[in-house]
Amino acid sequence: MRKLFPPDLLARDGRFTRVNNADRFNDPRGARGVAGGRPGKKGNNRLTPDLPEAPDAARTLMHGIFVGEIQALEGAGRTCWDFETGKGSDEAPFELKLDMARQCWDEARHCEISVKLSDWMGTELGEFGESAFLYEAACNPDPVLRLTGVNRALEGLAIDVFTTMKDFGDIAGDPVLEFCEDWMLADEVTHVKMGSDWLRRLTADDPERRANALEFQRVVDKLFSFGGLRGETDENPIKLARRFRELAGFTDVEIDDISNVSEEATREAAATGARG
Amino acid sequence: MADPKKPRPAFAPWDTRELPGSFTVEETAVRVGNYKWIEMKLFEVLGGWIATVPELDVKLRLGTHCYHHAWHAELFHKRLPELREMNPERLTLPANDELVAFVDAMTAPEGQGETIEKLVGVYRVLIPHKIAAYTFHLNNTSTITDAPTIRTLKLVLQDEFDDWRDGEMMIQSLIETPEEVDRAARHQASLEKLMLAAGGIAGPGSIGNPYALQEATA
Repeated sequence: MRKLFPPDLLARDGRFTRVNNADRFNDPRGARGVAGGRPGKKGNNRLTPDLPEAPDAARTLMHGIFVGEIQALEGAGRTCWDFETGKGSDEAPFELKLDMARQCWDEARHCEISVKLSDWMGTELGEFGESAFLYEAACNPDPVLRLTGVNRALEGLAIDVFTTMKDFGDIAGDPVLEFCEDWMLADEVTHVKMGSDWLRRLTADDPERRANALEFQRVVDKLFSFGGLRGETDENPIKLARRFRELAGFTDVEIDDISNVSEEATREAAATGARG
Repeated sequence: MADPKKPRPAFAPWDTRELPGSFTVEETAVRVGNYKWIEMKLFEVLGGWIATVPELDVKLRLGTHCYHHAWHAELFHKRLPELREMNPERLTLPANDELVAFVDAMTAPEGQGETIEKLVGVYRVLIPHKIAAYTFHLNNTSTITDAPTIRTLKLVLQDEFDDWRDGEMMIQSLIETPEEVDRAARHQASLEKLMLAAGGIAGPGSIGNPYALQEATA
């Protein structure tokens, strides 16, 4: 089996449809639908059960979580395989691989949870398109950049998404949804902390590599702010979860930076929307 | 209750553990290093295969099993310094070149249509050989002096049996035609021949030698 497995070859059964990122995030049934399909729309865009678009938006989000968990599982698994074990810059330490194997188990459980919740919400697997955006970040040939992009940027996004869904479950009076999201949130905090710890350990004596990794994280963070979908104001359907990010090893400065990146994405989306 | 000052033996009547065992500290360390190496190779390939397998239930089980074998590698890794090997990497080795050839062949399948081959290699060849070697070790080491290895082997074996059953059930559910039965059998036979050449996951003697007494007296 080869090292570095390309995203277009990810194995799926016949129910799944691959779409590009733009189509995936502009699906009118999704959280963007809460904002009337207009990126950066002013006013309260929080995902709440009283909105007429809420059921579809929540189902879309849950399906997105499900396919994201599959790709997170695949990405963590590939990190076990793609690198020789060792302490060189193109290798992965034994203990890092153990963490990735543990993450495989966690992500497999998250897939199971998401399948059960999707079924409960009336969703068929494959009902929504899947883009390979998460796995693409897991293809970086430098293990530090891979960990930073996936565990800090994308798993960090998962913290925000799960917090949003947990709050949605609470307001909607759905204790099973709230319960499951809370458990998954605990795992995600662990995964982000893994990413933060490994970033610091592996780049302790290599400031240039650390800077490259943080820049890669910034790029991924901006991409996954989805033109204002995630942020700190009520205009953003997905809320930046500061408290859980702190638990996961983010400093206040780092969280402020993500918030700024999100605001930037919101402004850019609004400008694009206004021009359109 | 009996008089608390009344002497009792250190070994209760039902405790029949004995001092003698078949392995020295050095021999145990070498075997444990072999175990860690094969567990690493297994969890790495299970992780790698997740992206290549289209069957959703299999994909998720591989993720779970990947962690089981990583945890086994970690347990063996931690045992090595307790066996006077302060640099665990030095003994994290394959038993021989033939075992490397086996692992290379077992990890070769990649295609989406090769799930049967992937699972057969792990669940019909490697894991049964691991169970055999671990059981031999468990039953032949000193039950008093090597109790920590025994505890590790028992924990590991519990996972191995569970995963073996999971894997076998996945294989049975995937095989739907006589041709697929042949495919699975052919792949199993080719890998078994490589494992035979290796002598097991710890090399010749992985499960002892039933003819040792005859050979010694001949």
